[in-house]
Amino acid sequence: MPIKFEKVSHIYSDGSPFTYTALKEIDLEIIEGKMTAIIGATGSGKSTLVQHLNALLLPTSGKVEVLDRIIASDEKPTKLKSLRKNVGLVFQFPEYQLFEETIIKDVAFGPKNFEFSEEEAIAKAKKALAMVDIDPSYYDKSPLDLSGGQKRRVAIAGILAMDPKVIVLDEPTAGLDPQGAKAIMELFKKLNKEYNKTIIIVSHDMEHVFNYCDDVVVLDHGNVRCHLSVDQFFKDSNWCEQLHIIPPFIIQAKELLKNRGIEITKDIKTVDELAEEIAKKVIK
Amino acid sequence: MGSFTLGKYLPLNSCIHKLDPRAKIIAMLIVLIAIFIPAGWLGYGLIALAVISLIFMAKLSLKFVIKAMKPMLFMMVFLLVINILVVKSGTIILSIGSFAIYTDAIIQTLYIVVRLVLMIMITTALTATTKPLDLTLGIEDLLKPFARFKVPSHEIAMLISIALRFIPDLIEETQRIMKAQTSRGVDLKEGKLKEKVMAILSLIVPLFVSAFQRAEDLANAMEARGYAPGATRTRYKVLKMERNDYILLVVSFVLCIALIILAIL
Ligand SMILES: Nc1ncnc2c1ncn2[C@@H]1O[C@H](COP(=O)(O)OP(=O)(O)OP(=O)(O)O)[C@@H](O)[C@H]1O
Ligand SMILES: [Mg+2]
Repeated sequence: MPIKFEKVSHIYSDGSPFTYTALKEIDLEIIEGKMTAIIGATGSGKSTLVQHLNALLLPTSGKVEVLDRIIASDEKPTKLKSLRKNVGLVFQFPEYQLFEETIIKDVAFGPKNFEFSEEEAIAKAKKALAMVDIDPSYYDKSPLDLSGGQKRRVAIAGILAMDPKVIVLDEPTAGLDPQGAKAIMELFKKLNKEYNKTIIIVSHDMEHVFNYCDDVVVLDHGNVRCHLSVDQFFKDSNWCEQLHIIPPFIIQAKELLKNRGIEITKDIKTVDELAEEIAKKVIK
Repeated sequence: MGSFTLGKYLPLNSCIHKLDPRAKIIAMLIVLIAIFIPAGWLGYGLIALAVISLIFMAKLSLKFVIKAMKPMLFMMVFLLVINILVVKSGTIILSIGSFAIYTDAIIQTLYIVVRLVLMIMITTALTATTKPLDLTLGIEDLLKPFARFKVPSHEIAMLISIALRFIPDLIEETQRIMKAQTSRGVDLKEGKLKEKVMAILSLIVPLFVSAFQRAEDLANAMEARGYAPGATRTRYKVLKMERNDYILLVVSFVLCIALIILAIL
């Protein structure tokens, strides 16, 4: 069951002088079980696009198909709770949604809303907090007393605790330290690989896209510019050039090596692999 | 929120938009006074004519202005009900058993409604054509003469402009938090009372937290740039009255005088 956008347009403040078309007849099919990156310049419509996935925004025209639910422009959807349970959306700067007295209660808030009992919700919260590396000694602290990065992780745990099938993340690593960002990305990769979650992630960080994602969707002024596998996308150096993206380190290194006469054709992701390939070429 | 138009600025290009905010504020005050002069329907007709031509000149659509009245609809209905229950003079137009509706009740309500509608129209015409910041500049200047009575005109204007400045931000913030909590299963429409209380709490707490945060950030930013209340400072935008501004003042003044004459006759 893929996630499908069919001719989806979204117009903000339709019919007023402030009207703005953020999505223009988008056709898109995101494959289940993959980790898909959504990239594009600021204002290209990424946040708008992902908010259609759990019907926070409804298409102005066209339809969205997510997990057997069809959300079309011409009908007001009802009973969205099961959709929202199964599609967890973590907003850009989610730390602003924390409100409970204690961290554990805040993380349990989601599962409790989805009809889990108090104990079940707490158990799920503990599991989710462990996943994002929040130490049990913090559980009874106020979420407002945490650092920015910790708040972010608690907020992400708040969504993970709902155990959604599809996890959508809007720039989850913005403002995190590199170590913390890496840990979070690795967590998503693990959720994707081991728990078979579909992950959709909005990101500006090409290293993350390159290292962790399977597919990439490029948005440009409300249009889908391309939808390719990550390897294909970065192999064709035209894309990065056209979109004014600085390619990931490994791709840059490959390019530089190629200019010096060492061409590496194999798809590689890490520095170690690169070193190995260079060694092979040089020793030969 | 998108349909809430009362007090919203509309960036259009019209001669009314270009007027000096001070002239517009004074003209509005004069017309507001005129609305309260009991000059009968002819008087209201005159004001309505003036206000509608003003709205037309400002390139505002009537639809926009009518939308601004929506929040007042409830109040108008409420007034009608009260008047029907209280006013017992004039002739009876409808009677059900011992309960009767009198003509005066209807006429009085109509008077009030017409006044309200005119007032909303004129204030909407002001706020829709004047940037909030210009509005506060105008208020500041108009309050200047009261400085000798220790009225802190600059501080009042600064307060108003900060408040106005943050309204859209707070609306946006509310929507964002609402969306975030909706994603966590909050349902603001359905659910039991306890769930609803929780839902509202999940909205208000983050909103307050971020509002205080913003206030603190703003205070720090202002202080870092050397802001001190009461200090003399120059202005980036200097207001200047021009021919059209005087025309507006004269027209509204003449309108007011005409109503007084009508009322006396
Ligand atoms: N509530 C709104 N009302 C009107 N216009 C909006 C609203 N939200 C977003 N927009 C506009 O829609 C466009 C797309 O916004 P969106 O938030 O989807 O961009 P984005 O790709 O997520 O950008 P960023 O990388 O900065 O997060 C922007 O030009 C923005 O100005
Ligand atoms: Mg965004």
